[in-house]
Order: sequence, then C-alpha cells, then structure tokens
Amino acid sequence: MKRTLPLILVFIFGIMGIVPYYIPHGGYQTLDNMVRNDFLRILSAFAIVLGLGSLMKVHIDKIKKHRENWPYSYVLIIGFVVSGFIGLFGGIEGNGMLPTSIASFKFDIETLYLNIIVPLGSTMFALLAFFMASASYRAFRVRSLESALLLSAAFIVMLGVIPLGDRISPHLPTFAQWIMDIPNVASKRGITFGIALGGLATSLKVILGIERSWLGGKE
Amino acid sequence: MKILEYLSTLDRRIIYLVLAIVVILPLIFPSIQRVRVMDPVGKLFAAIDAIPDEQILMLDFDYDPQTQPELEPMAVALLRHAFNRRIKVAVLSLYVQPLGLAKKALDQVAEEFNSQAKIRADSIVYGQDYVFLGWQPPPIVPLLGMGISIAEVYPRDYYGLRTDSLPMMHKVRNFNDVGIIVCVSGGNAPIWWVAYSQTRFGVAVGAGITSVYASELYQYFQSGQFSGLMIGMKGAAEYEETVASSLRVSGRRKATEALGSLNAAHLTIIIFIIIGNISFVARRRK
Repeated sequence: MKRTLPLILVFIFGIMGIVPYYIPHGGYQTLDNMVRNDFLRILSAFAIVLGLGSLMKVHIDKIKKHRENWPYSYVLIIGFVVSGFIGLFGGIEGNGMLPTSIASFKFDIETLYLNIIVPLGSTMFALLAFFMASASYRAFRVRSLESALLLSAAFIVMLGVIPLGDRISPHLPTFAQWIMDIPNVASKRGITFGIALGGLATSLKVILGIERSWLGGKE
Repeated sequence: MKILEYLSTLDRRIIYLVLAIVVILPLIFPSIQRVRVMDPVGKLFAAIDAIPDEQILMLDFDYDPQTQPELEPMAVALLRHAFNRRIKVAVLSLYVQPLGLAKKALDQVAEEFNSQAKIRADSIVYGQDYVFLGWQPPPIVPLLGMGISIAEVYPRDYYGLRTDSLPMMHKVRNFNDVGIIVCVSGGNAPIWWVAYSQTRFGVAVGAGITSVYASELYQYFQSGQFSGLMIGMKGAAEYEETVASSLRVSGRRKATEALGSLNAAHLTIIIFIIIGNISFVARRRK
C-alpha cells in the first residue's frame, strides 16, 4: 500500500492535468480549477515547510559532525532565524508589531532585501564577467575549422549586439540578427524537440507507473 | 617573441583589472549611445501600443538582484510606455524573490509621473491605473488559474486589499481581458507563459530576457509565440529609445547609459581572445 497509493494518486492527478486541454466542458474546467487553486496551493505550503525543515536539519547535522565548511552553516541558520523573525514580526514594510526602526535600521523584510540580498546578489553575478573574460582569453582557441566558425559567429554576434557594431557597419547588427534567427533557431529547435519528446516519454512512464525511481528505495 | 611569451602567461589579475577599468570608466563619464531599434523590440512596442481600452497589460517581473542591471531598465521602460498611453497595468511575480524589485520599479515610475502631473487627471492612481497582484505559489496556479479568474488566484493584492474591490479590476476577469502578458525574467518563466497560458487560453505573450538566455528563446519569437522580444542591455536601450522618441517620455535611461560599458567590455573581450589566439599560434609554430 505504501507504494501502490502514491502510484494511484500520480496516475489520477497526472491524467487530470492532461484532460482539461482536450475537454473544454465547464464542469470539468471547474474541477480542474479547484484542484489547482485549492489542493495545489495547500500542497505547496506543506512543501515549503518540509523544505525549510529539511534545510535546517542538514545544516544542524553539518555543524554537529563538523563536516566540510561547517562554519558557513551558522551563517545560514542565523540568516534564516533573523530574517524569519523580522519577516514574521516586522512585516513587509514595517507594518508588523516590532518597533519600526532603531537608528537608521528599519525592522522589515523590504529593508533587509534591498540592503542585503540585492547588493550581495548583484556582486556575485557581476564577478561572472571577470571569470568569463579570463576564461575566454585562455580557452577560446582556433584549433580547427569548426572552432574558427564558432569564433567568427561569436565575434559577429558580440559586435552586432552593441551600438559600436552599427557604427562599424549597419549590416553587422542585421547579420548578427540573421545568425540568431536562422542557424541558432534551427539548432535550438532540434534540441527543444528532443527534450520535449524525452519529457513526454518520461512523464508517461511516471503516470503509467513504469518509471518508479521517484518513490525511492528499491524497485 | 618575448611579448608573445609574456602574453601567453598573462596573469589573470591583469585581465580583471583591464576589464574593471573599461567597465567602470564609461559609467563614471557616460556618453549617450544611439541605438537602432531592431525588429523584436519594435514588434513588442507595437503590440503593447495596440492594446485596446477595454484590455490591460499584464507584467510579470521575474528578475532578481543578479539580473537587475539588465532587466530593471526594461521594466521601467515598459511601465513608462503603459502609463504614458494610459494602458492599465497589472504587475505580478511568479517567484517571491523578485517582489521587492517589482515594487521598486512600480513605485519609481508612478512617482515620476505623479511628480510631473499638473492636474489630478494626469496622476497615476493605484487601483485605478495599476495594481500589484504580488505572488502566489506555485507558478502553475497563476499561469493556468488566471485564464479562469484572476480574482480567484489573487483574492488579495500585494498590500492585502481585496482584488475585486479595486476599481481597475471590476472589468478584468481573466486572460480575455488581458491584451498581452510581458514577462521580464532571467530564467524560464517566459516559456511557461507560452506553454501553459498561451497554449490553453490563447493570450499574447512578450518577453524581456538576459543576453545569455537569448539563443534559448529566439525560437519562440520566430514562431510568433512571442509577440515581441527585448534582449539584454541593448534590448532595454532600444525600448528606452522607442519610448523616449515616440512618446516624448523623459526620465533616466539606465540601459542607454550602460551601453558605453557594454561597448568597451565586448571590445576588450574580443581583443583578449585575438591576443590569446596570436600567442597560441606563435607557440605552436615554435
């Protein structure tokens, strides 16, 4: 029963997800809407609680057993507790029960977000440009005809997407656009079809109970 | 030959330093770079401009701090366009992290218009001209649920007000009342709007995306599933240019200001690749 019940549920709800695309009947659409708007939201709320619980368990375990980089787990736990506390009691824009501010620091999630998450996130992503420049200098080598073609296409697109490209030649952005429109789309569409067909086959295998690895344990 | 040997073992810190200088200098001394508006951006502008009075523009701001510099100018330009043309706007996010940035863009542009308003009718009023629906997890709920009823998916807006009590939402029931959904995102979200909302309910979709994601999403523009497309900093600058020249909307144009850095950074990387290849060929001959 422990394995059969999840399989039955996946079959029923998997089919229920497909059918509304083919049966526009009002009654069925209402049922579909109810399952999605009510059931799914409750399920996702449980998933958030489970996810956060699991995250905490992993990091508390890491600290206890002094696993690699364990001091960073303290940062995560402290960040979680502080932001959770301020979020619950300070509100989004200081409309909670905590004092609205001490000195210039406001106790609300928006202040934390704009002053901590935004600069940290931007900094991390900005570093990527430096690594890309260094990596392209060391690794982008013309070793064959294919790599020469790839490099030429990269140069045309890189110049075509900046205003300087238009000044060098007005045909450059048009050519860059053509590379994106035709050769790029041709290859990407082939990959997308492959992924979609693979996804379809895997989904059918899961719905029909042929693929059961998601249940965990042995087959 | 010594130079080539030196170049082949060039310290990465020198590359970092050169790149930092060429990126920072044009930001300190900005120069206005004119951009040619390409077809994907022109089509997006036209699609939004053609929204009839009885329909609204739905904006999904799904960008986070990592992609903010590239995508926020798009969000601001879209809002300036809509507010200038008096197109009613509903803003939402499929994830929680972009909410703060979405609100920041909304507040900024509403303030821009309200500070210039000479009479009350010129003001942009929350609930009448725009609403901020906020976030409802998981993403599949708004993607499909709004095709039936927007108020059911978002019973309350971001500020906790009842959605159906907002004057703008009295006549807006579902995707039939939405002219186009424009998703500004650094991830997969624009594809979801096509795969779920457009396939099932036929709503028009446009997108604003990061440059690194362009090759992935171009196929949806070419097939007509995206009515228009903004790509990266240049796409944002093209939209800013269109809004400024067609509608005479003033305001800071961050993407246009950053184009000098973009020019310099691309050129520097190209030069580095050429130098790297020259030293590579020289070493091979040796």
